[in-house]
Amino acid sequence: MTTQTPVAERAGPSAYRAGAGRPTRRRLRLDRNVTFWGLVIPPSVWLALFFLVPLVLIVVISLRPDLRGGVLAGVPPTLDQYQTLLEKPAYMRLFGTSIAMALGVAAAATALAFPIAYFLAFRAGRRAGLFLALLLIPFWTSFLLRVMAWKVMLGSGGVINSFLLSTGLTAEPVAFLLYNRFAVVITLVYVWTPFVALPILAGLQRIDPTLFEAAADLGSTPARRFWRIVLPLSAPGVIAGFFMCFIPTVGEYVTPLLVGGSGGSMYGNLIQDFFTKAANWPLGAAMSLVMLAGTLLFVALAIRLINPRRLVG
Amino acid sequence: MKRYARSVLAVVAVLALLIGGAGISGMPTAAQGSGSLTVLDWAGFDDEQFWIDFKNAHPDVDVTFEMGASDADILAKMMAGSQADVFHPYTGWLQFYVEEGLVEELDTSRLANWDKVPERFKELGQFDGKQYFVPYDWGYSSVLYRTDLAPEAGDSWDAMFDPAYSGHISMWDDGVAAVDVASQVLGLDELNLTEEELDKIQQLWIDQRELNLFYWSGEPELVEAMASGDVWVAYAWQGAYALLRAQGVPVAYANPEEGRHSWVGYYGIRAGTENLDNAYAFLDGKLAEETARNVVETFYYGSANQDVMASIDDPELIDVLAIDDPTVLDRTFFSPAISAEQRDAWAEMWVDVKAS
Repeated sequence: MTTQTPVAERAGPSAYRAGAGRPTRRRLRLDRNVTFWGLVIPPSVWLALFFLVPLVLIVVISLRPDLRGGVLAGVPPTLDQYQTLLEKPAYMRLFGTSIAMALGVAAAATALAFPIAYFLAFRAGRRAGLFLALLLIPFWTSFLLRVMAWKVMLGSGGVINSFLLSTGLTAEPVAFLLYNRFAVVITLVYVWTPFVALPILAGLQRIDPTLFEAAADLGSTPARRFWRIVLPLSAPGVIAGFFMCFIPTVGEYVTPLLVGGSGGSMYGNLIQDFFTKAANWPLGAAMSLVMLAGTLLFVALAIRLINPRRLVG
Repeated sequence: MKRYARSVLAVVAVLALLIGGAGISGMPTAAQGSGSLTVLDWAGFDDEQFWIDFKNAHPDVDVTFEMGASDADILAKMMAGSQADVFHPYTGWLQFYVEEGLVEELDTSRLANWDKVPERFKELGQFDGKQYFVPYDWGYSSVLYRTDLAPEAGDSWDAMFDPAYSGHISMWDDGVAAVDVASQVLGLDELNLTEEELDKIQQLWIDQRELNLFYWSGEPELVEAMASGDVWVAYAWQGAYALLRAQGVPVAYANPEEGRHSWVGYYGIRAGTENLDNAYAFLDGKLAEETARNVVETFYYGSANQDVMASIDDPELIDVLAIDDPTVLDRTFFSPAISAEQRDAWAEMWVDVKAS
């Protein structure tokens, strides 16, 4: 409630300055309040029910010794699960590997997405809408299908291997394409690139074109204009796109399951295993929270290091 | 603050009306509750053909299916308080439901088809002399191999660890199965494993990981990889064997010297269910002729109805299920009733293999 007060307070004087009489002012204020709460309450209820409550449940489950007695049983809390995790250096190593993979995926997706967004914003002209639609068409098929498509691309009898065999470049199908971390990274970069392009595009579209003219008039080269204008001004979009890809990729489990093979598991697969294969929700919940905390910490540190405000300023 | 209070109240009132309204309009269906049943089952078993006798006898009952991804998943959901009336665990997991008090003791006189069940299957669903579970489907786990690419793989479970098949082996993604196989290969007493022995098993699978292409979790995934020639040797159920044979892929289903493994699927009734009559009728329907026959013909699984099994004359099915070999089940190895501690330790061992 307290954070909302200033908004309403601000509404007051401006309504007054609009020259309205007392009764109208009151009604206006009421209307604004109704609109405000009408807009705020549904998403708040939604988030509370489907985000906060599950999050609290995860915390509660992670503090249980086991599942005995059902999810809602009153069991004295214990840190056993976190203790177990401390004794499992392999899990933390895999968490580190997953962060490294997510960084690689996010960096590659951002690098690939930037030229796409740049083209759409500055070069596509009247066809920008068409190209944007083309960029978004893959989302009409399900995520799973797009991942499965990479099995068809990379498999031993797949598109790439058929090409290599038919051109005589290799005598045997190349096996290292599928069922390893490489395949996971390739697939994730493919899946994420269009997503990452969208915030970058939004950032580029906000750049005032007169800035380029002014810079050109002052004798700036195209490279310098890009470096001094486009890059800093699009930085918030680039950073948003990067983390939009990085954060969910850390916890990814579907892609490694489908194309990662025996050695391509990520941290998210361990969590999934504890939930669906080991009947050990408490340990899985503790691992989820460790991941959540670890990822948040990592992002906070990264943002601090990059300092986006300095980039823009 | 007073002026906000009124508008907040207005919005809350609207919301309350909406929610309340939904509740009222939802009530008539809830009142017809005598005619409902919720089944917690594996994907695929929700198909009508696997409960057709129940459906025909009770067309008015509103049957809902919830899906479990594995035995562990179904157990976890039941322990977490699932309100499913009927659930479908397999041998090796039944005892946990009894220990946790999650399953209703059965009065077999309420099952008209009970006398069609062979004694062996009845016994596996008994604990402390009480019947808790009704069997439905059964089958094997063994080495499935491509006879053209790995013709020698049929002698022993050792094939799963043979470097000659490096990059062409696929193990099922399951900790208990991993301990089953490794104990036999290493000659260990599975039910009395010491910590060192479990470490040894873990190391065996960590080493095997270098040879293993992927851990399969669903039969279609395995069938596709074996048909394409990516996988030559795999831990598999007879369903995959039957599907590959039907596609004309040269495969054989091993009778390894250590013996095949076998499993039986059971249905249990949740303790305290309000739909007890429907639950009994559902379980009885599982043993009825048509429902039993469909699981044999669709999944190539065995049925717990011995009359149906005796009437099978399709040579393919007889071969796939080894029905013509009356001693085959005696030579197989049923997943033993492990303790909750063993279950957790084995599952953790398997996660450690993947994390290492």
